[in-house]
Amino acid sequence: MSLADDTSQAVPMPRGRRRAELLMLLFAIGVVLFAYAAVGLGLKGKLPPGVPVDIIVFAVLMLAAHLAIRRFAPYADPLLLPLAALLNGLGIVMLYRLEESGRNGNPGLQVTDMPTSVTSTQLLYTAVGVAVLVAVLLLVSEPRKLQRYTYTLGAVGLVLLAIPAVLPKSHSVVNGAQVWITFGSFSVEPGEFARLALAVFFAGYLVTKRDALALAGRRVLGIDLPRARDLGPVLIAWALSLLILIFETDIGTSALFFGMFIVMLYIATQRTSWLLIGVLLFVGGSFLTALLFSHVMERFTVWLHPFQGSNPTGIAFQPVQGLEGMAFGGIFGTGLGQGQPYHTPLVQSDFIFTAFGEELGLVGVMALLLVFGLLVQRGLRAAIAVKDPFSKLLVGGLSFVLALQVFVIVGGVSGLIPLTGVTTPFLSEGGSSLVASWILIGLLIRVSNTARKPAPQPIQDEGMTQVVRAA
Amino acid sequence: MNRALLKVSLFCLAMFVLLLLNVNYVQAFEANSLAGKTGNVRVFDEQFSYQRGSIIAAGDGNDVKVAESKLIKGTDQYQRYYPYGKVYAAVTGYDSVYGKSGIEETENSLLAGTSSQLAVHNFTALLTGKQKQGATVELTISPAAQKAAYQALAANTGGHSAGLVAINPSTGAILALASYPTFNPNELTTLNGTVLNKNDERLLKDPSQPLLNRATQVTLPPGSTFKVVTSSAAFSTGKVGGTSSTIPAPTVLTLPNGHLLHNDDGETCGDGNPQIIEAFYLSCDTAFGDLGMKLGAPVLRQYASLFGMNRALSIPLPVVPSVLPEGPGWTDKSLTAYTAIGQYNDAVTPLQEAMFAATIANHGKLMQPYLVQRVLGPGLSVISSHQPATLSQAVSPRVAGDVQSMMYQVTHNPGGTAYATAGPSVTGSITIDGKTGTAQNGLNNTGLNDAVFTCFVPGTNGSSPIAVGVMVQGGGYGADAAAPLAVDVIKAYLAAHP
Repeated sequence: MSLADDTSQAVPMPRGRRRAELLMLLFAIGVVLFAYAAVGLGLKGKLPPGVPVDIIVFAVLMLAAHLAIRRFAPYADPLLLPLAALLNGLGIVMLYRLEESGRNGNPGLQVTDMPTSVTSTQLLYTAVGVAVLVAVLLLVSEPRKLQRYTYTLGAVGLVLLAIPAVLPKSHSVVNGAQVWITFGSFSVEPGEFARLALAVFFAGYLVTKRDALALAGRRVLGIDLPRARDLGPVLIAWALSLLILIFETDIGTSALFFGMFIVMLYIATQRTSWLLIGVLLFVGGSFLTALLFSHVMERFTVWLHPFQGSNPTGIAFQPVQGLEGMAFGGIFGTGLGQGQPYHTPLVQSDFIFTAFGEELGLVGVMALLLVFGLLVQRGLRAAIAVKDPFSKLLVGGLSFVLALQVFVIVGGVSGLIPLTGVTTPFLSEGGSSLVASWILIGLLIRVSNTARKPAPQPIQDEGMTQVVRAA
Repeated sequence: MNRALLKVSLFCLAMFVLLLLNVNYVQAFEANSLAGKTGNVRVFDEQFSYQRGSIIAAGDGNDVKVAESKLIKGTDQYQRYYPYGKVYAAVTGYDSVYGKSGIEETENSLLAGTSSQLAVHNFTALLTGKQKQGATVELTISPAAQKAAYQALAANTGGHSAGLVAINPSTGAILALASYPTFNPNELTTLNGTVLNKNDERLLKDPSQPLLNRATQVTLPPGSTFKVVTSSAAFSTGKVGGTSSTIPAPTVLTLPNGHLLHNDDGETCGDGNPQIIEAFYLSCDTAFGDLGMKLGAPVLRQYASLFGMNRALSIPLPVVPSVLPEGPGWTDKSLTAYTAIGQYNDAVTPLQEAMFAATIANHGKLMQPYLVQRVLGPGLSVISSHQPATLSQAVSPRVAGDVQSMMYQVTHNPGGTAYATAGPSVTGSITIDGKTGTAQNGLNNTGLNDAVFTCFVPGTNGSSPIAVGVMVQGGGYGADAAAPLAVDVIKAYLAAHP
């Protein structure tokens, strides 16, 4: 295994494609604006009153992000920002719709305890997200520079993960999951940022250790098993995810961490055996914890028998509401503002996807899934195109974990897999997830810029000395 | 690393394909089954979030709204409202969160707008962004006749339960359909759960069973009104040549099993061998008991079926079959004598009583009774319209004419059983032809008699035809307890249809 076969063909794309990005961004903003108008028409039969300040602020933020990309990453993939903007904007519109549902005699607020300022708050977090995006573009001028902070970020990630577990429950538990740091009305979910920090750590660690990890040990049943001494890091990651699972009662986050680590290990070593070991460890660990901890077992019961006995009104109330909401939407949906998503508890966070299913229908959620899929695909494309192995690993891992996160939450609320509480990227209410998602987009933009930047052109006719013009 | 990245890409693709398949499964394939889950709060709430179609009574030429959905002030929810309360309860039924009955139940898919007949309307509404709306159901009910029927039953049955149905004999259109005791459907449409629970509980536990529709769901012995069928069979089979043919009518008829059949109060019947027309208007049980034995149970059953018995009807309210059942030993002559006077195991609904009269009034042709004249889509486009249909040609016009002339004597001959209560002295210019029935009840006939009356106004001389059947459980004599109720309805109907 050498670096040589990883060297990619330079993509023949001299132009930055920023105009294409602007056009697609305007289209995304237009979709969001129409969705916003549809909410007003659906809820009250008329357009939302006054100037749509929220949407104008949103549009200004997105255009600012576009200008920053123009300035700091002119060769970046033009699809990334429009896709993220579309998701973020639709999330804001859905929160606006859910916030409004408590009025006009609808019983919304009875079940979804949601502050009426949720739209403005989400818009504020969007502003923070865009600011952080610009900061990432400024600070990380070259993605491989992050490699210097491998162990620093590793430590930061672990500390962020551990804080909720050691905080008193009054400052760390929201809706049953001990994954928060809360002080007064302010709360942060550090796991969202820990995931990014640990992704950098894994990438940096695996790039240096991958040759050792790729060394084959014994061969069993046609599979090259790794050497026992190399199992250490895998077992540590596994134990870490189990600890998250047990102490923070957060199956979803633990699955994301472990999944991210295993896939990055696989990308670094190309050893299928690591994947198999990882899957076996995860399945075994889940099974054991299901036997040991009732709340894990309960998730399986709810998944397999949501409609059995008193489950629909008891432990399976929320998933059943979500499923019935999606089914109520059918193929074309009720239309924004015309469904009853407010029956589903926490519809604004974990279950926001079911609200889209109810009001935009099957066609709407398929479109959303395709947008997510496209985002993942552009990320993986950047990973394949970039030459630097650290960037490859980092962006490959981050793109995969984005796909895995969508799979875990959408699969969970739609009954494909047991439900675990992770946020829906860009859509769910909440600042931590949104800001972390924008950081992820920042990293993707940065890496895609590096990957698509035209190779430095040697200047001819300068005698023997080759002068390289910085691009 | 790129090979591994490509494999990871494929894995991501697989995850998204799984998600796409699963949302298709949930939102397309499973959608109906999930909508049908008990306690699906969305489907439940949905019924209040759009305007359910109205039910209108159009039998008097103008539209009278008898059930409508009204927007509750300050909300986006609709509540069902019945402007006439109890009057139309037996027809419309109720539409509550606990369930539905009556037209509300049978026409639910149209009223709710979910019927496939409304698919085009719904799709247009979806495209134009209009709210979904249920279809309007237009009933054949005549508000004048219905109001009279309700008032007559509520005021003049002495608290006995009763059912009344009025039909237009030439089309089968049901003009009035009432049941007593009844309920106020508005009590079941309140959105206040506590109040609704209380009302529902009270109506269900009420021993007088106000939710039971006695016009269509309860059968009682027809008593002497069944002599309409026995006579029709006798004329049609030639056993009796005409209305002036004489038949034996002893004061006491000794049955083959040794039992003695008396006339009411042991009266004699003419000279003991009267013309059938005299035996009919005097309602001699011995004469028709003897006639029944000569005809035999199978023939009586055959003609009962021709008059609409022995079959379930859907008008579209479900109607329990009026029966002359076959059973062990049902052809026994002694029992057949009782069958022929409506006193053995034959049992009919008030609707069937109206159908007896309607068949004779319509020259022997029985029309399919129906309640729904038209269904109107949003914007009042006609979605469906009822075409009158023949249920059976029960008897020939000649036989019908013979039976009619006998029924004429019941109300117009001073000796007729209903001369005093449905004759010209009470009806004035209106000509009512009828037949009374007083069915004995209980062990050794110790129970209260059921009062029955079947009658019609023929559609001759430009008059509007109407046939009425009424049964008062335990009411006493048909002529005294049942006939006046029918007269009230007929007077009210003809006043509105001069």
